[in-house]
Amino acid sequence: MSRIFITGMGVVSAIGNSVAENHEALKASTCGIQYKLDLFPSKYAGLLPFGQVPISNDNLKKTLQVTEPGVTRTSLLAMYALNEAIANSGISAEEIQSFDTALIGANTVGGMCLTDELYNDANAKTNGSDYLGSYDCASVNLFLQKHFKINGIINTINTACSSSANAIMYGAMLMKNGYAKRAIVGGTDSLAKFTINGFNALHILSDEICTPFDEGRKGLNLGEGAAWLILEKEEDINGKKVYAELTGYANSNDAYHPSSLSDEGDGPYLSMQGALRLANLTTDKIDFINAHGTGTENNDQVESKAMISLFYSPPLFASTKGNIGHTLGAAGAIEAVYSILSLMHQEVYPNLHFKNQIASTGLTPVLEHKKMPVNHVMSNSFGFGGNCSSLIFSKV
Amino acid sequence: MLYIHKTYCISSQQDLLQANIDLINEPVVKKLLAIEPTYTQIPPGILRRMGKSIRMGVGAALPLMSEADAINGIIMGSANAGMDDCVKFLNQIVQYEEGQLTPGSFVQSTGNVIAGQLGLISKNKGYNITHIHLGLAFENALLDAMMQLNTNPSNAYLVGGVDEISPFHYNIETLAGSYKKEDISNKNLYESDSEGCIVGEGAAMFMVNSLAENAIAEVKAISTLHTTDRELVKQQLQLFLQKNLAAGEAIDLFLSGENGDNRTLPFYESCESLLADDTSIVRYKHMTGDFATASALGLWYACQFANNQQLPAQMFKKKTANIIYPNILIYNNFKGLQHSFILVTGC
Repeated sequence: MSRIFITGMGVVSAIGNSVAENHEALKASTCGIQYKLDLFPSKYAGLLPFGQVPISNDNLKKTLQVTEPGVTRTSLLAMYALNEAIANSGISAEEIQSFDTALIGANTVGGMCLTDELYNDANAKTNGSDYLGSYDCASVNLFLQKHFKINGIINTINTACSSSANAIMYGAMLMKNGYAKRAIVGGTDSLAKFTINGFNALHILSDEICTPFDEGRKGLNLGEGAAWLILEKEEDINGKKVYAELTGYANSNDAYHPSSLSDEGDGPYLSMQGALRLANLTTDKIDFINAHGTGTENNDQVESKAMISLFYSPPLFASTKGNIGHTLGAAGAIEAVYSILSLMHQEVYPNLHFKNQIASTGLTPVLEHKKMPVNHVMSNSFGFGGNCSSLIFSKV
Repeated sequence: MLYIHKTYCISSQQDLLQANIDLINEPVVKKLLAIEPTYTQIPPGILRRMGKSIRMGVGAALPLMSEADAINGIIMGSANAGMDDCVKFLNQIVQYEEGQLTPGSFVQSTGNVIAGQLGLISKNKGYNITHIHLGLAFENALLDAMMQLNTNPSNAYLVGGVDEISPFHYNIETLAGSYKKEDISNKNLYESDSEGCIVGEGAAMFMVNSLAENAIAEVKAISTLHTTDRELVKQQLQLFLQKNLAAGEAIDLFLSGENGDNRTLPFYESCESLLADDTSIVRYKHMTGDFATASALGLWYACQFANNQQLPAQMFKKKTANIIYPNILIYNNFKGLQHSFILVTGC
């Protein structure tokens, strides 16, 4: 089967509006999480920290020249990052519109960022807002389809917080099975009163800046953003710049609890193991793990245990949730970009805000930016519903 | 190669193959509500907390998963699973002004909740994914299963489609003009010549693997498209048939997703114009109603027709001398934008 190469990337997050800005911020240990939320009124604004993208909806619309009504922030962030990925890869409008170009995107919030509009429309309190067709998650990709005139296979995936890792997998599978010549894959999510209150009700939001893999961690911070990768086959490269190869991926289910991982971490263990198998790599070949590391009691403990079970002595690892917060459906794609940056620049980025090892696992993440040989990076994403996915990117 | 070995379906009819049109269930307050079975395989404590789409999805899947070891993964298609719990939670947020909320509805509001619950109940740790791309959510699930089987030929998967009429979703779609304004009988659906469909709900599940032996039907090919251009749909159907039918083969039965909406009818007519004179045409959405994953019920019908020569007369739009249907083409159109072709043959 064809080798799958990454030939373009785009990202927007709390630490930068482009791949270059994100790269500089990762090197500089920039934390984009702040006690600031001005996208919508919420009683948690100013009380809880969030990784908000510092571009208003009006500015996004202006920059993107979006004038039609009914476009949500989730879609705007997606389009913003996708413009960069397309420009970065140099694929032409003709290639984008070709019947063998797939668009596979993930998100979990969709138009639910519009709490008041959805409340009024769903409870039939109005004659209908501009957003009737924008609440579901598929609306993001339908918006992008229309804008970029995409004719190939289009899909929206939701496996909660691992959604965009599965979007990347699905795009690669379409290419390997002959359903697409190239694939635009990624994810997006915006901050929403819905998710803030949801995670808060589960008592897994920290009122402090999150501290992944730290013994004293208090929970996660929500973030937002979007990222896209352009996947092309080895035989179609023709001298084009290649950033990395997608060598491994796997999806498994923890089959334990709707909103937390099992003590043994069967799901994480199986997804990491499956990705290694597909990449045909032994555990010692992984130089760095971009961990899911949300900063919750449950995730960091279980992920650490699963890494120890599989790797015995785990490789260097870190979570970037301390930089940008947990971006939910966008996390897998944003962190794929970060993993590829490690391969491109032969360096690893630090896990911010860590103080002490988790007593039962005794693991310390990477604490500073450092140059080193990086040939294979594993990136983990785990979500509600037991959905666990791991990707492996390799140096080309 | 994807072979279907077992199927299970929940819909608005006791008998989806009802021969007598006067005996089919009619919409109640414009909705064709699903008739749910007694869910004996779902633990009562869990069942009580499940929303309708979760109940229907899990309830339709479990009968096919009795030998849990035989299933290597769960592949679900659902446009709006969790939507009901989503708005329930949203209403809590607004009504209690972001106060102390209970997380139950939030946890059940994620789109992947059915596949997640199935993994949990059946202790299935394999591939687990949910496709939510509206009117092509089920088609992508089916395509995913085909690719999984191509990569892992000795595996078996559960693949399905499910959606419910949640009160909130119904309100949004009513405001958007998706449903018929007038109260009509489903018996006259195709003569209505007005905008909108009759909304339905349901679930159809399939146990699939790569083995032809003892299979009910084979899904030979699937193709999807986003366009509002009738000519493009026609061109793509032509290409699909050229690519997937052997020389001398033709479509014997056209399983049409026609839904009584005069905005989408022209697309169905364009596709019909490509069919041979002796191709029979049947319709089913007067029985099931229409919803984003109704094509899963379309595939369930194809599985029945592939092996049954006695099709209910009331389903025919056009009946020819054909009495066997080796090649069945399912065409579905969601809101005039999302199109799918599925080619099914009997085994």
